[in-house]
Amino acid sequence: MTVLAQAPVPRDVGVFEWLFDPQSWTGSDGILASLADTVVLCAIVMVVATVTMVPLASWLAHTRRGEVSVSWLVTLSRAIPTFAVAGLLVPISLRNGWGFEPWPIFIALLLLALPPIFLNTYTAIKQVDPGVVDAARAMGYSETNVLFRVELALATSVILDGVRVAAVTVVATEPIRAFLGGDGLGRYVRDGLGQNNDGLVVAGAILVAGLAGLTALSFRSIESVALPDGVRRLATTSTR
Amino acid sequence: MAGLLAQATNPIIRWEYFIDEWDQIQRALIEHLELTVYAVILGFVLSVGLSAVALRYRWSAGPINGFTAFLYTIPSVALFAILVPYFGLSRITAVVPLAAYTLLILVTNFVAGFNSVSPEVREAAAGMGMTPARRVLHVELPLAMPYIIAGLRIAVVSTVGLVTVAAIIGQGGLGRLILDGLRRTFWTPMTIGSLLSILLALALDGIILVAGRWATPWAQRQKSVL
Repeated sequence: MTVLAQAPVPRDVGVFEWLFDPQSWTGSDGILASLADTVVLCAIVMVVATVTMVPLASWLAHTRRGEVSVSWLVTLSRAIPTFAVAGLLVPISLRNGWGFEPWPIFIALLLLALPPIFLNTYTAIKQVDPGVVDAARAMGYSETNVLFRVELALATSVILDGVRVAAVTVVATEPIRAFLGGDGLGRYVRDGLGQNNDGLVVAGAILVAGLAGLTALSFRSIESVALPDGVRRLATTSTR
Repeated sequence: MAGLLAQATNPIIRWEYFIDEWDQIQRALIEHLELTVYAVILGFVLSVGLSAVALRYRWSAGPINGFTAFLYTIPSVALFAILVPYFGLSRITAVVPLAAYTLLILVTNFVAGFNSVSPEVREAAAGMGMTPARRVLHVELPLAMPYIIAGLRIAVVSTVGLVTVAAIIGQGGLGRLILDGLRRTFWTPMTIGSLLSILLALALDGIILVAGRWATPWAQRQKSVL
């Protein structure tokens, strides 16, 4: 609270006045520190989700094990009430002495990130042309090579798409953490609402929305770089 | 220290609360339901308009999809917050973002539903002398119904979940119980608010599923044949 306490923002503060004031960016409660808080949590969630879901989904799809109901998963991914899940986990976490953060919000965000990554990996690998897979086997590829050098390579762009969707959703949802006993970039909206300070509310909203937009943009640029060379050549030469 | 002690000894749920504070729970539940219904109705009406434009003028389908997808990616906290200076902590501030989030789901499903009608069926209807309006209402709409119902289910369930977030602007039905419990370090309202909002989503999903089956008996028959 130090920055806000030192310079209490008057009710009619200009949104940009506050945003462009270097004082609001620095310090332990400044925008940069909150931003780092948010980015670190979201990054951990995304790494855990990707590292678990991509191998699981590709193994299930490669071995054709377990018929996964895709439409059910789509519904599920849109229906998870993150605020309610986190709200349910906070008391449980506190009673066990784990504190407000990071477990409740971490688990709630993880539940949000898992379905799109799983779904995209699973469908992408399942949709790889069986003729291509058979050709690879006939050329003597081992099953591991078929999975890594054929199926996963062809599925890369769709998998990255799923990761992007998950990342944007996670970053967009993380600000609720500020309302559940935590901090992060959502704190300015919370503080602004608490102090009846519309300027701070709007500035906080701009920060939160800006980060979500930036996440979407940066993942799009990753997608254009990370594609395997062969797939990119395929995309530029074939007219499909 | 006292606060920490209270956190540790406070049970997750006190059952007496249901009886003692039933009025409050009931009010929160009704408010939650009202916000959900208003938002979905507003979203539905807007989606019908947008889908009609997207289907009539093909070139507009891309921009409309892009616009609704853009709305969907705006963080809920930001969208609620940005409207506060204009509408205050009112119901409008809660309903407008909630409706905006349903657009992507509903428009996508409406358009997919009407696109699933095969050109042969459309030609047959025209050949039988149906006017375009009659064809849309009596042939295309029933065929698109399963998609419309599927979209409605997702829209309603996700809206029930998002209504809780509207508690940050003093609306939000059951979400208010969650924040109330958090402020008082009293876990019972928090647990009840969270559980009831999840149960409400499941219940509404079930109701729409059953109503949809009843409204489209032919879709069930087709499935059993296959």
